[in-house]
Amino acid sequence: MQKLISNFKAGFLLGILFSSVFCSAVIAASANSISVSLELLASPAPANSSLSRLVSDGAGQMYLSWVNQDNELAQLVYSKLMDTGWSNPIVISEGADWFINWADFPMLSVSNGNMAAHWLRMSADGTYDYDIEARFYDENNRRWSEKRVIHTDGVSAEHGFVSMLPISEQGATNTLITWLDGRNTKAGEEYGEMTLRAGIFDSLGETLSEWEIDHRVCDCCQTSAAMTAKGPLVVYRDRSSNEIRDISTVRYSSGEWTKPRTIHDDKWQINGCPVNGPAVSARDDQVAVAWFTAKEDTPTVQLALSSDSGDSFSEPIVVASPETNGRVGTAILNAGAVAVSWIDITEAHAKIMLSLFSPQGSLLHTSVVAKTSASRRSGFPIIESVGDSLFVTWTDVGETPQVKVARLEFELN
Amino acid sequence: MLKKSPKYLQIALFAHLTLIINSAVADEANWRIVNYWSEWCAPCRIEIPMFNGLFNDLKASNVSIVGINFDEDPRDITLDIAEELGVEFPTLTIEEVEELALRPPDVMPTTYLLSPTNEVVAKLIGMQSREDILNQLAALGITVQIN
Repeated sequence: MQKLISNFKAGFLLGILFSSVFCSAVIAASANSISVSLELLASPAPANSSLSRLVSDGAGQMYLSWVNQDNELAQLVYSKLMDTGWSNPIVISEGADWFINWADFPMLSVSNGNMAAHWLRMSADGTYDYDIEARFYDENNRRWSEKRVIHTDGVSAEHGFVSMLPISEQGATNTLITWLDGRNTKAGEEYGEMTLRAGIFDSLGETLSEWEIDHRVCDCCQTSAAMTAKGPLVVYRDRSSNEIRDISTVRYSSGEWTKPRTIHDDKWQINGCPVNGPAVSARDDQVAVAWFTAKEDTPTVQLALSSDSGDSFSEPIVVASPETNGRVGTAILNAGAVAVSWIDITEAHAKIMLSLFSPQGSLLHTSVVAKTSASRRSGFPIIESVGDSLFVTWTDVGETPQVKVARLEFELN
Repeated sequence: MLKKSPKYLQIALFAHLTLIINSAVADEANWRIVNYWSEWCAPCRIEIPMFNGLFNDLKASNVSIVGINFDEDPRDITLDIAEELGVEFPTLTIEEVEELALRPPDVMPTTYLLSPTNEVVAKLIGMQSREDILNQLAALGITVQIN
């Protein structure tokens, strides 16, 4: 186990206090010490593993999922972090007809012992068509459901870019799943519009509700979801009639979805796919959204913060520009600090970066987590927090790809 | 959606029409249109037939078209995907892509126009039409002979 510890001083503004409506400002500044330890954990994933994700169960347990590949056969596997290290990997599903893609890959959701996991399986009828299949683990029965296609359209089209979130309703732990649904892309002679849909599924995998929540979204960017004090918040890359592809949010509350709202008018107009979706994290009313934009061909990673469960957002904070290709992640620590991960491509070797911000948006520190590759094969790093620990997973693309995991501990003195 | 210009449909119908906008670069050889595509990218799949047509129409000119599989799949898989997509222009190997040292695009599809010395002279972001490509060549003063 490799352990790297760095201690350093970071000077930053604690806050900017405006003392009157006439904007005479008082700036309080203080030098503070932040200790960061970065520990590369022994990976439970073997060679030829990739497409990893981390998810916490909300009770302090961390889970890692990934895909093993052996020629045509793919396996979705997970492991739980114990005091003694990762548990023995458990295979959720496997298949030789999966759609394996560096940007659109399986997800695991865990809460109260229940689990849900999805993967993408090629449809029989179309070369580029695939369905979202899932299995659900019910803690009461202690068994996984049969695999099922979660969408009911029966249309051979693209379905993917899934987000999952546990949701408690009437004492039951269900799973909210959102996805990009291409059923309307096949509705006419020309390629139609990609939709954003959502459904709630019980612990046995039965569909309780399903909605179309946006009728026209960007075709190939990840969605992301987080639970706020006012309900689940979903973020995604929208698509206007004139091809503005900025980031929008919708929130589910009392059986209804809010109308899509743009977080910020970046006005990034492109007739194409950025393949760079947003990431959201939430802790009660605190919400952080990180995203990539490249208006006027200037790649930029931005962060917007909310203190009202996503009703409103701050002006964007520039996290990185222009030497980045995005692939963002975000997480909120117990102390309220906001972590944003992104890829730096300044040098020949790309780097996985992690920037830490105060709850108000002041930059506290930026760390290099690992060297990586800017290639698509390295995929999207994923970050997840438990308490004030932050976990990062990515794929190391050497001669054989392998999933890596690291843990960062922050101590704000 | 592909924008079809009646003007360029006429060009396709009337063979051997030569556009000469600026003769300063007319004798330079091997300008290259480099199109990044991917199997999962719907607009890529829509514009590939346009590039196929242009590839055939530009064979007698000093402008060639090559493709790059954005996903960096192994060569055999890349060629299988190219065949499934109906890509008729050559697809570069990973080694050839590395030699070009292009910044991988932030948006798919993206098309670069490279000078004979492999300098990027234009970056066309998003889905392009035949008219877009020809207009860009003309704006750069590149002579094209369309069969």
